[in-house]
Order: sequence, then C-alpha cells, then structure tokens
Amino acid sequence: MASIAPTTIAENVHGELAGFWLRLVKSPTGLIGLLIVLTLIATALFAVWIAPFDPLQMGAGPRLQPPSAQYWFGTDDFGRDLFSRVVYGARLTLQIGVIAVGISLTSGLLLGLVAGYAGGWTERVLMRLVDVLFSFTEIVIALACLAILGIGLTNAMIAIGIASIPFYARVTHSVVLVEKGKPYFEAGIAAGAGHVRMIFLHLLPNVVPTLIVVGTLGISTAVLAAAGLSFLGLGAQPPEPEWGFMLSSSRDLISRAPWMMIFPGSAIAITVLGFNLLGDGIREVLDPRQVMR
Amino acid sequence: MIRYIIQRVLAALVTIWITTIAVTLLIHAVPGDPVRIMYAKFQSTPEQIEAVRIALGLDQPIYIQYGLYVSRLFQGDLGRSIVGDQPVLDILLTRFPPTLLLATTSLVIAVVIGLSLGFLAAYKRGTVIDVGAMVLAVLGVSIPHFWLGLLLLFFFALQLGWLPVAGSDLRSLILPALTLGLANAAVLARLTRSAMIDIFDQDFVRTARAKGLPKTMVLYRHALRAGLVPIVSMMGLQFAYMMGGAIVVENVFAWNGVGRLAIEAVFARDYPLIQGFILFFATVIVLVSLVIDLLYAVLDPRIRYS
Amino acid sequence: MTAGHTMSGRPTAVSDCILRVENLSISFGRGRSKNQAVQKLTYRLAAGETLAIVGESGSGKSVSSMALLGLLPAGQALVESGEAWFEGRDLLAMSEAEITHLRGDRIAMIFQEPMTSLNPVLTIGRQLTEGLVVHKGMSQREAEARAIEMIELVRLSDAASRLRQYPHELSGGMRQRIMIAMAMASDPAILIADEPTTALDVTVQAQILDLMRDLKRDFDTSIILITHDMGVVAEMADRVVVMHRGRKVEDGPVERIFVAPAEDYTKSLLAAVPRLGRAAGPPAVTSDIEPADDGSVLVRARDLSKRFRSGGWFSRDEGVLAMDEIGFDLAPGETLALVGESGSGKSTTGRAILRLIEVDEGEILIGNRDVRKLGQASLRGARRTMQMIFQDPFASLNPRMSAGRLVMEPMVIHGVASGSELEDRTVELLRRVGLEADHMRRFPHEFSGGQRQRICIARALGPGPKLIVADEPTSALDVSVQAQVLDLLLELQQSLGLAFLFISHDMAVVEEVSHRVAVMHQGRIVEMGPRQAVLNNPRHSYTRTLLAAVPMPDPTRRRGALPTLDVAAMPRGPLAEVAPNHWVAA
Repeated sequence: MASIAPTTIAENVHGELAGFWLRLVKSPTGLIGLLIVLTLIATALFAVWIAPFDPLQMGAGPRLQPPSAQYWFGTDDFGRDLFSRVVYGARLTLQIGVIAVGISLTSGLLLGLVAGYAGGWTERVLMRLVDVLFSFTEIVIALACLAILGIGLTNAMIAIGIASIPFYARVTHSVVLVEKGKPYFEAGIAAGAGHVRMIFLHLLPNVVPTLIVVGTLGISTAVLAAAGLSFLGLGAQPPEPEWGFMLSSSRDLISRAPWMMIFPGSAIAITVLGFNLLGDGIREVLDPRQVMR
Repeated sequence: MIRYIIQRVLAALVTIWITTIAVTLLIHAVPGDPVRIMYAKFQSTPEQIEAVRIALGLDQPIYIQYGLYVSRLFQGDLGRSIVGDQPVLDILLTRFPPTLLLATTSLVIAVVIGLSLGFLAAYKRGTVIDVGAMVLAVLGVSIPHFWLGLLLLFFFALQLGWLPVAGSDLRSLILPALTLGLANAAVLARLTRSAMIDIFDQDFVRTARAKGLPKTMVLYRHALRAGLVPIVSMMGLQFAYMMGGAIVVENVFAWNGVGRLAIEAVFARDYPLIQGFILFFATVIVLVSLVIDLLYAVLDPRIRYS
Repeated sequence: MTAGHTMSGRPTAVSDCILRVENLSISFGRGRSKNQAVQKLTYRLAAGETLAIVGESGSGKSVSSMALLGLLPAGQALVESGEAWFEGRDLLAMSEAEITHLRGDRIAMIFQEPMTSLNPVLTIGRQLTEGLVVHKGMSQREAEARAIEMIELVRLSDAASRLRQYPHELSGGMRQRIMIAMAMASDPAILIADEPTTALDVTVQAQILDLMRDLKRDFDTSIILITHDMGVVAEMADRVVVMHRGRKVEDGPVERIFVAPAEDYTKSLLAAVPRLGRAAGPPAVTSDIEPADDGSVLVRARDLSKRFRSGGWFSRDEGVLAMDEIGFDLAPGETLALVGESGSGKSTTGRAILRLIEVDEGEILIGNRDVRKLGQASLRGARRTMQMIFQDPFASLNPRMSAGRLVMEPMVIHGVASGSELEDRTVELLRRVGLEADHMRRFPHEFSGGQRQRICIARALGPGPKLIVADEPTSALDVSVQAQVLDLLLELQQSLGLAFLFISHDMAVVEEVSHRVAVMHQGRIVEMGPRQAVLNNPRHSYTRTLLAAVPMPDPTRRRGALPTLDVAAMPRGPLAEVAPNHWVAA
C-alpha cells in the first residue's frame, strides 16, 4: 500500500497541474486574482527594497503631509512615511492570512473528516459541538480567545485560526457526506478497503479541491478579521504597520488627513479582492462539470 | 411538522446548555490566575483576591461551580462586572437592544438590496447586467466594513454634514446600518444568485414554461416562490454575521450597543461580563435561528405536510 | 372539449399533416467545442397519429422536440436553420410572445422525470388550473372543475382532495398522471411526450401507456413520442423516425420498420434490443452455461430481514421492511436473477449478501462461512471472493484515480500481486474486457459509459472472485452498448466459472443472462425457479402482471390493457414448491 498512496496522489497532481494553471489563467477572475496575489507576495518579499523609508521611523518627514512626490502616500501623525508602512504591512497581512487559515483548515479538516467518516454517535456529538461554536459567531470566539490569551497580533492570529475551525469542519463534513454517498465509496468498501485507504485514497483527494477553494477564500476572511481586530485595538499594537491598526489611528484624523484612511483601507480591500477572485477562479477551474456559473 | 418543531427546539436548548458549560470553563482556560489578572489594575491585597475567588466560587470543584452558575442563572444573576461593579444582567439588558436594532435594520437593508440584485443577476445570467452586478458584489464582499464605515463617515457626516457622526437616535442609526447592510448585501447577492440559478435549471421551471405561462408568472410564482426556501434557510446564518459585524461597526460610529461593551470587557479582562456577554449573544442567535427555522418549515410544504 | 369522435388513427394523406418539420439543424457551443446536435431533420406528423422518434443518447431526439416549443436554453443552443409548420405558421420563426401562446394550449409537452417536473411548493390544484386560467380565460372555479374532470380522466382517485395536495405526497406514477392531466386539459392538437415512462416501473409504465392511448383516442390528439425503448415504440407508434447522432436515419410505418428495416443502424438497433421470449426457443451457446450440477452451493441465504427506519428519536414511524425473510441458494457458476420493481428490495438484498448493509436477522453462508459472524478484518479478507458491479459506471469510479489504479486496487488490497506482476495482470484484465493497455493512465471522465462499465468489471475480476453481485449493470447504458456488456459478462462466466447475483428490473435482460430467476415484490420473494419455468409458466399473479407489462418490440403483438393487480389480495406467504425447484409464495 505504501507504494500506491504517494504514487496515486503524485500522479494525479503532476498530470493535472499543468492543465490546472492553464485553465486558471484563461478565466478573467482567476487571472486578475492571481496577479493581485502575486503582487502582494512580491511586495511582502521585497518590502525591504520597495519601501523608501523605514516604516517605524518617526519624523522621516513632516507630520500629516498629503501625498507628494517624496511621500507617495503622505505621512501620518508621527511623521512616518505611509507608503513604506503600507508596503511592510503586506508582510504582516500575508503572515496573518496564511497562519490563521493554516490553523483552522488543518483542524477543521481533521474534525470534519473524522466526524463524517465515523458516523454514528461520534459524528452527532462532534457536529453538535461544531454547531454550538458556530452560533457563537467567529468574532465572539476570537474575542473569547483574546480575553483568555491577552491581546496582540500573534494572539489575534491564533484567535482567528481557532474561531474559523467550525466553518472548515462544517464544510469538510458536508463534502465528506456527499462523497460517502457516491457509489465509488461503496465500491471501495466492497473491494475490501480498510479505513486508512478509504480516508486517504478515496475521500481526501475528493475533499481537497473544495478545501483549496474554501481555503483561498478563507485567507481573505482571515485578513478581514485580523484587520478588524487590529482596528479595535485588540490585534496589532503600536507601532506595528498593520493595515487595520493604521485605520484605527486614522479615525480621529479623517478630516485633516483622509489619506491615512484611504490607502491602508484600499490595501486591505485589494488584497481581499485578490484572494476572493483567485478563490472564485480556482472554483471555476476545479468544478468544470458542475454548473457553469 | 410537529416532529420537526420539537427537534429544532430541543437542538436549540441543547446548544444553550452547552454554551453555559463552555462559558463556565472559559475562566479556567486562562493561563495563570484569572482572579489576579482580573484585578491587576486595582491595588488588592492577597486577602481581597482570596475573597473574590471564594465569592466567584473558583475554589470549588468544577461541577459545583457549574451548578452554582446555573442556579444563579435561573435567578437572573449573571455576576457583577469588575469595571463599575454593576450587575452584568442589567448592563447587558441596557446595551443589547441597540445592537439588536442595528443588526435587524442592517439585515433588512441587506435583504432588500442583496436579494433583488442577486435575483436580477440570475435572471439575466450571462448578460452585462449579471456581470456588472457580480462585479459590484465581489467588490462589496472585499471591502472591510469598518473601512466602508469610515468612508461613509467621511463623506456623509464630515464632508457633507448630512448625518451625525455619533449618537443614539434614529438618524445616527442610518450610517451604521447602511455600512453593515451594504457589506452584507454583497454577500446575499452572490448567494441569492447561486440559489436562483439552481432553481432556474430545475425541471419544474421548464414545465412551467412548457405550459405557456407568461414569463412573470414563471419567474415569481414558480421560481421565486421555490427559491425562497433555500434563501430563507440562509437567513439564520446571515443574522449571526450581522450581529458579529455589529460589534465592529459600533466602534466606528460610537453606537452604544453591546459591541463596544465587549471590546472594553476584553481589554479589561472583565470575565464575568465576558461570560454573560457570550451567553447572551449565543442565546439571541440561537433563538433567532430557531424562529427562522420554523419559518422555513412553513414555507416548505415537504416539511409542513409530513 | 371532452370525448370527441373516435378516429382509426392511420391517416396517410399529406393534407392531414398537422406538423411539418423541414431541415431542422441545431448546434451547441461555438468554434472548436461546437456540437452539431441535430442535422437537417425532416419529418411529418399526421393528424391523429402517434409518431415515435427513437434513438439512443446523443441522437438529438429530445433536442429537436424542445426546439419546436422554443424551450432550448437560449445562450447555449442555436437553431441554425429549419422550419416547423403548424397551423399555417412556422414555429421556429415565432417570437417568444407568440410561442408562449401556443405552449400548453395547442402544443403540450410532458417530460421524463415526474419526480422533479412539478413545483414542490405549489399545490397540485394550482399547477393544474393555472394553464387553463391563462390560456382559456377561465375563472379559478371553472378551472378547478375542469381540473377535477381531468384528474378523474387520468384515473386517479379522490379528485377533489388531490387539488389541495402537494407533489411530494404522490408517487412517481401518480405525478406523471398529473403531468398528463395538465397537458391534456386544454385539448392540445399535439402532445409531445419526452421519454414519459422511462423513469417509471414497468407495471406503472404499462398503465401510463394504456392511459395515453385511451386519451389520444378520446381527445383525438396527435402524439410525438420520444423514446429509446423499442418495445414502447412497438406498443404505441403508428409511424417511426429513427435518429442517430443528430441525423434521421430512417422513417416509415411501424410494422415496416420492425419487420424490414432498410438501414444498417436500424437493423443493429433492433438486433441489440433484448427481447422477452427470444430465449424460449433453443438457447444460443453463450447464454446457456450449465452451472456445476453437483449440488454444491456457493451462497446460501436464509430468512434475511431488514427494516429501514426513517425517523429520529421521536419518530413513531415503523419504517420500511426492505427485506422480509429472503432466502435462496446460489450454486457456483450459476446466475440467479433478482427481478423486481422499485421498492422490491432487490438492491438491498444484493448489498446485504456482501454485508455492505447489515441485515437485522438471518443467515448468509458463502462457501460455508457465515458472513454475518465475521469480524471487520476477516470480512475484508472475505471480500476477495465476492465483488460488486454497480449501476452507474461513472459514479462508481473514483474520479481522481486513473483506470489502472482503479483496476489494481482490489488486487493491492488483497495482496494478490505487486510490482511489475501487478501491472501485467492489470493490463491483462483490461484487455480481457476489451480495453487497451494505454487506457491505464486515463481518468474515468475520459471514457464512454460502456468503457467505464468494462473498467468496473475488470476491477471486480482482479482478486479472482467466485461471486459477483451485479446491480443493474446495464440499466444506465445505451441499448447497443448494453448488449456488448452482457455478452462480456456471459463470456466471463463461461471461462471463469463465476456465479452472478444479477439484479435487474428488465425481464428481457434477465432472460438473456440468468439460469434461475427470483421475482421480488415489496421485500418478499414471490416466485423463484429456473428461467424457463418462471418466464414461460409464471404461477404467481405478480409475475404474470410483470411479464404482461413488458412492452414487446413487435408491433403485431400489442398487448391489451393490463389487468389491475390487487396488491392486498396477492399471496405473500412462505414459498411452496409447485414444480421441481419452482417455488411460489402461497
């Protein structure tokens, strides 16, 4: 069996990978989304070279300056260059998105897979717990986690990660139920397959495509959530150049320095848009036999 | 149908019950000594801290604590807030209604705009109207609602001075409700479009067309009426999102609901208040979802007559 | 508007022509993905006649008819050319408003899936009356009166209370009757019936076809009947149009088409149709493999019972008794067919034998081992000797695994072979079922339906089983492909000595492949015995009804109206032997 599992998955992935990228690039949503996300990643990686100033340096320029040739996005109330701060913010944003989704996706996947496959009381109890957590709403769970752990950007990431677990568990569970009902699942059992084979060779490869889509869209949700928490002061702390936090500092200065609000907010919106479009594009590509929406 | 109602009511009660358990355990998840953390700001003597610990019942085994919590619950005692030392129940009862008002108003706005947009896009699938509507929707979904709030604040309150910046009256409700409502209208538009496209592809719509019924009749009497079923089933979740979103939006507009309260409580590590807040919040959502589930049963004859 | 004068129904004069379709061409998609669904189709429909348009999937028969009423999806389908003359106007040139007037009024259409063709949230009454209100300007009360008349005409009871019922409260056959009532209520000139009975059980099908024949006579309607079933064609049609891949292959009166088909495709289509009674005479060599006659038994099932409960904790629902004291023997190398309609429990029984479903009571002995007593690990090992082939060949293959891996899987699980030996065996199996070695790397969606079923068969053969449970293995396939797959199964049985538990609803197919037949009804076996005995000399009233209901692909042998079967009075007791090895419920 050890010889089959990696070969099957690898064989699938390799053969389909080329076709996948081609089709993704052909759809307009996928293409735009991909470009935005790649730009974001590049900005994050090369922040050091892109940003003209040190994002934490106060008094790099006169305070509250509107956008100009020297300070492309203007300066904030501490005289820091807004453009540099936004650029460095990309790093934080990417980190948050990936780590939070990483936590929730793996945990939720495990939970949903076990619940869906096991069935019976296990499934009922687990999914009931998931439902309960669901009715708390993600933000309340996040708040509860922050109340326990204390505030700060790292804790916010963990909090968001934990808060989204019910969502991924539910999605996984419903996909597993659908796949379990299909004849190929029964065929596997009829062939004599054991639990490990059924889960890893049959269920998982058919669950993964949906999770890729949901995970990509989930990054945008995580980014929004983190920005929201930082906006409320519970996430990033001064002087971290996190976009949500920059928005909260801008609130009292909107009339005097609207650029402090416009640029970080646009950055969040564009990032979220990028991941949304990418997720939509991937969904189109991975479900070609489903409805052509 | 009776069976359906009983099942749903029981599920709701179980959820609330589990919530009480989770809420009681909350304090114990705190690394370190929760009491000391709570009272860190105040200069307290070890005796005072010990007294608080006993008063809160934290020296007892867990199941006794739970029993205490529940019995106090039935007497309407949710503890006292650390900040200000007021009964938690009173605080919540004062601050919850404005949040409910905001959430409900926003939901109405979101439903009216989102459903119409989604329905139109599904009906005109593939045309410019559809593409345009969906572009709008995807932009709406991507904009952080607190940023949208700030933008609206900037234009309508500060620049144009049409609406107040903050306050508790109905005029002050407009901007926050619009913010939350527009953001969620985008989500609803996408969901409605999906659901309606599914319906339009159904066999019974083809039958209605084959009968020579006029287009409006096929659209409204057949498609929309059938589409209401899956759409209403989404509403429970949407209400929950509204409540969650209200928490953030209240802070943009200084709307005096439970959202601002919650944030302050988290900052202050005011655990009794946080516990009460979570319990209240979850209960409200469970009850509203229950009502929506029952409405769903009325709409779907397959449940009503079974 | 009700019963008009009767007509003899065989008009031939062109002036009696009520619909004239000329050079109809329809395509889907554009550029490289363009699919020519219909090409230059031309036919006539005479007044008062039933014209059958017959073909396999992809023949364009449905598409061409939907185009007449403008029901094709606007964005995807393009009517490239053609005219359809009806009452002096070209249907294909009409505006949406004009054709909407005709739909449901002068030309009505009914579809294949009665379960989904009615709106679940509107009452039957509403759905029956709205067409009348729109087209005939009736008031709601008048329309309801007419609706009640129609419900009675389609032979449903309790007409008045039906109006207030919802579709989910009716069975599939009842819903199709309502569809017919809806269609005929405005006394249309033409009724287009698109596979109206394909989704129904064969006894229900017979009733619906009878109904359609009677209504046609009473209302003097012309019918376009779209079907893939040559038996239905022979039963109902006056004239036939044969279509293949979008083109008309042949047309003519029904007798000539069956007796003297001119085109090769028609000939092969007719030859592929399993015909009940064909095996009555001397059997062909491949269909008569004698099982081991030494009295050895491979599978012995006794008193199997299974009840499905639907409710939750508070349900007083007794549930459905899917299997009621089922018992049979199966010798090595023998094929026992389980025949029945939906709800008979035949699929459940097949799964129960393999323990894919757990029965509540009973004994299952396979090769002298009590399968029910096996633990999980031993059960998995035991599966080596018993495999299953499913109805839907596409859905029973994991879409993410290549054909090679799929076929290999059971062998890998049971450690039959490994490494290069495994690959060789896989290639050998693929070739055995008529596929190629380089099909190994392809994925299920790249194969046709018949090929996928071959992959399923190859997969089942891998571990060297003695028993194969085949659950409707050819029901989802086109007739021509069906014949090939059945031949393959027979040939494999002959060379490998396989025993088959063959589950089907199709009597003609059963006749071709089985040695013994067990007829099931609502969870009980009502008759069981050798094929010839059960099919030629049925002793149970249900078996007789079932056989009588099968439409014969022979227009000279149309059966009369089906006698109604009183289900309650039907004997369902324990089986009694009425002839050597021929058992009937008492």
